[in-house]
Amino acid sequence: MTELEVTNVSKRYWLPKPIGSAVEPGGWARRAWSRVWPSYDAFWALRNVSFTVARGEAVGVIGPNGAGKSTLLKLLSEITAPTTGEIRLHGRLSALIEVGSGFHPELTGRENVFLSGSILGMRRAEIVAKLDQIIAFAGIGDFIDAPVKWYSSGMYVRLGFAIAAHLDPQILLVDEALAVGDEAFQRKCYERIAALRSAGKTIIFISHDLLSVERLCDRVILMQQGRIALDGPPSQVVAAYRRAVAAGAMFGDSAGQADRGVSVTGIRFCGRRGDVEIRTGFPFNVRVSYLASRPIDDVVIEVWYTTHGGAVLQCEQTTARSSDGLDLPAGAGGVEFCCEALGLQPGAYAVVARILARNGTLLHVFAAGSALIVEPGQASRGQFYMPYTWRRARRPAAIESARFAQESPDGLKV
Amino acid sequence: MHPSAGVSVRVLAPPTWRSAATWSQVARLGHYRDLLSTLSRHRINVRYKQSKLGALWAVLQPFTMMLVFTAVFARLVHVPSEGVPYALFAYAGLLPWTCFSSAVSNSTNSLVGHAQLVTKVFFPREILPLSYVIAAGVDLAIGAAVLVGLAIYYSVPLTAELWFVVPIVAVLGGYALACGLVLSAVQVRFRDVGVALPIALQLLMFASPVLYPLRVVPAQWRTLYLLNPLAGLIDGFRRSVLGMPVDGQALLVGAAVTMVALPLAYVAFKYADVTVADVI
Repeated sequence: MTELEVTNVSKRYWLPKPIGSAVEPGGWARRAWSRVWPSYDAFWALRNVSFTVARGEAVGVIGPNGAGKSTLLKLLSEITAPTTGEIRLHGRLSALIEVGSGFHPELTGRENVFLSGSILGMRRAEIVAKLDQIIAFAGIGDFIDAPVKWYSSGMYVRLGFAIAAHLDPQILLVDEALAVGDEAFQRKCYERIAALRSAGKTIIFISHDLLSVERLCDRVILMQQGRIALDGPPSQVVAAYRRAVAAGAMFGDSAGQADRGVSVTGIRFCGRRGDVEIRTGFPFNVRVSYLASRPIDDVVIEVWYTTHGGAVLQCEQTTARSSDGLDLPAGAGGVEFCCEALGLQPGAYAVVARILARNGTLLHVFAAGSALIVEPGQASRGQFYMPYTWRRARRPAAIESARFAQESPDGLKV
Repeated sequence: MHPSAGVSVRVLAPPTWRSAATWSQVARLGHYRDLLSTLSRHRINVRYKQSKLGALWAVLQPFTMMLVFTAVFARLVHVPSEGVPYALFAYAGLLPWTCFSSAVSNSTNSLVGHAQLVTKVFFPREILPLSYVIAAGVDLAIGAAVLVGLAIYYSVPLTAELWFVVPIVAVLGGYALACGLVLSAVQVRFRDVGVALPIALQLLMFASPVLYPLRVVPAQWRTLYLLNPLAGLIDGFRRSVLGMPVDGQALLVGAAVTMVALPLAYVAFKYADVTVADVI
C-alpha cells in the first residue's frame, strides 16, 4: 500500500545574479533600477523526481551536499511547495528537521514543551498526557521550570528531542541534523527511530551517515544534482555511492578516466581458506584483477581501505617488499595481497584499487562495488586488532621493554 | 476498499489561486486550534515576562496617550467631544485604535520575525498573524478595565447600546487580520513594508475618528471617509460604550468592507504562504 507518492517533482529557486562581476552597462538610472530589481538566475534544486514509498517502508536518501536532499525534505514536510509536479501523502507526517524548533528563550522548559509540541502538530490534550514522559525522557531535572535561555546546549537538545520522540506520526521524516549531540544522545535518537520502524511507521531518513542508513533502511535513494541517480537495496546503493565518492573525491575522477592501456577490472576479498566471511584477526586476502590492452612496464598496484566517511585506514601496495615496479604483459592478470591477521575491526569499509606508473601518474582507479564487510573474529578493543601473545615476565619489566623496543622494527605486524 | 479510505490524502502541488481559495484551508486551521491558543497565550506571556509592570502596560499605553491628547486637544484646541468629558471620549477611541494598530504592526512582522520557524516546520502560517490579533484583543479587554473606571468616575449610564461592542470588536479584529495577512506576506518579499508601517499607521490614526467625533467630518467627504472601516468601527465602539446611539450606516459600511477584504486577504495570503519559506 502506498503511503507517499512523488510524481515528477521539480523545484526552482531564484538566485540573485552576482553583483559587480562586470561593470553594468547603461547610465545611473539603469544601475539604480537594477539595484531595486536585481536580476535572478534560475536554479533547479530538484528535477523530475518521482518515487513512491509503501506503508511501513524505511527509505534512506543519500547524496553529496547540494544534491537536493534538503529540498526534497522541505517539499515532503510542506515547508515549501514544488514548482512543478505533485506529492501525495496518505498519513500524518511529522518532520524531525531540527530539535528545539519553536523554542522561545524567555519561556520555561515546561512552557516550551507546549509551544514546540503544538508547532510540531501535537494536540494540547496529547501534550498534557505525555508531559511527564517527555520531562522524564529529557532528564534535565529542575531546569524544566527555568527559562530555556539558561539551558546548556546539551539540555536544549535533550528537551527538543524528548518532544520530538513523543510525536506519533504515520510518516516520519528524519534529517541528519537530528544526529547532533554526544554519542549517548545519538544512540537514543537511533533507538527511537528503530522502535518507530518496528512499530510499522513509514520512515524517510535523510543522512550522510551511510552506516546508519544501511542499518535502518529497507531501500535507499541516491540523489545527484537534483535527480535520483539510483534507487534500490541499501547495500547496492550505498556501495555505489561510496564508490563514486571514494573514486571521485580521493583518488581522482574515475568517471572521466582516459584509457591509459591498463585498467582494474575487479576486486575480490576472501577470508581463511577461501571462506567468504571476513573476520577480524583472521587471514584475509584481496585479489585485484586487471586488463592490459598492451604490455606495460614499471607500474604499482595499490589497494586502499577507507571508512565510509572517507578516512584512509590502510594501503597495500606492490612496492611494499621491494621498490621495483611490476611489468604487466598484455591481457588479463591479477595480483593477490595476503594478510595473515586482518587488523580492521568489524564494520563496513570502502575499498579502492588503483594502478599507477612508478613516476606517480595515475593509470586507473577502481572502487569495489560492494563494501568490505568485516565480521567479528578475534575479540579486541580499540581502533584495530593487533596480534599479540602474553606471558609471565621473569626479568624486571624495564629490561624486558628495552629488549622489546630493539626487536620492534620487524616484530610488529599490523 | 482502500484501507486508508477515510484518511484524507494530502496533495502538495505548486500554488494556484484555486487551491488557495478552498474551504479545506480554513478547515485545516481547525486542526491547529491548539497551536493557535498556545501561541496566543505565548504572545501575552512573553510580552510581559521580564517587565515589572506586566499586563499594566496594556493599560498604560492608551492611558498615557489619552493624557497627552487630552492636554493638547481639550485644553489647547478645544476639539468637540459630543458632550462627554474629553478624557473619556479620547480613551474610548484610543482603546480600539491601539488594539488595531498593535495587531497590524505585530502581525505584519510575524512571518519575518519567525523565519526560523517558517523555514523549519510546517503549520498553517496564518496562525502567526492571527495569534497577534488575538493577543491585541486580550490587551483591549485589559484596557477596558480603565474605561469602566472612567465611566464610573464620570457616571456614564449603562445602556443596551453596549451590546454593539461585541460585533464591533469582532469586525475590528477581522479587519486587523485582513491587513496583517496581506502586509505580512508582502513584508516577506519587501521589507520596506516594516519601515513604512509606523508612518502609515500614524496617518491612519488621524484619518480615523479617534481624537475627534465622526460628526465633524464634512458631508462631501463622508462617503470616502467611511470607506476606511475604522471610521465606523471606532466611532461605533465609542458611542456604544458611552451610551450614545450608534451610527448604523457607518458601521455597516465598515462591516461590508471587512467582509470583502478578509476573504480576499486570506486567499492572497494562502497563495503566497506556500513559497514563503523560499524567500524569507
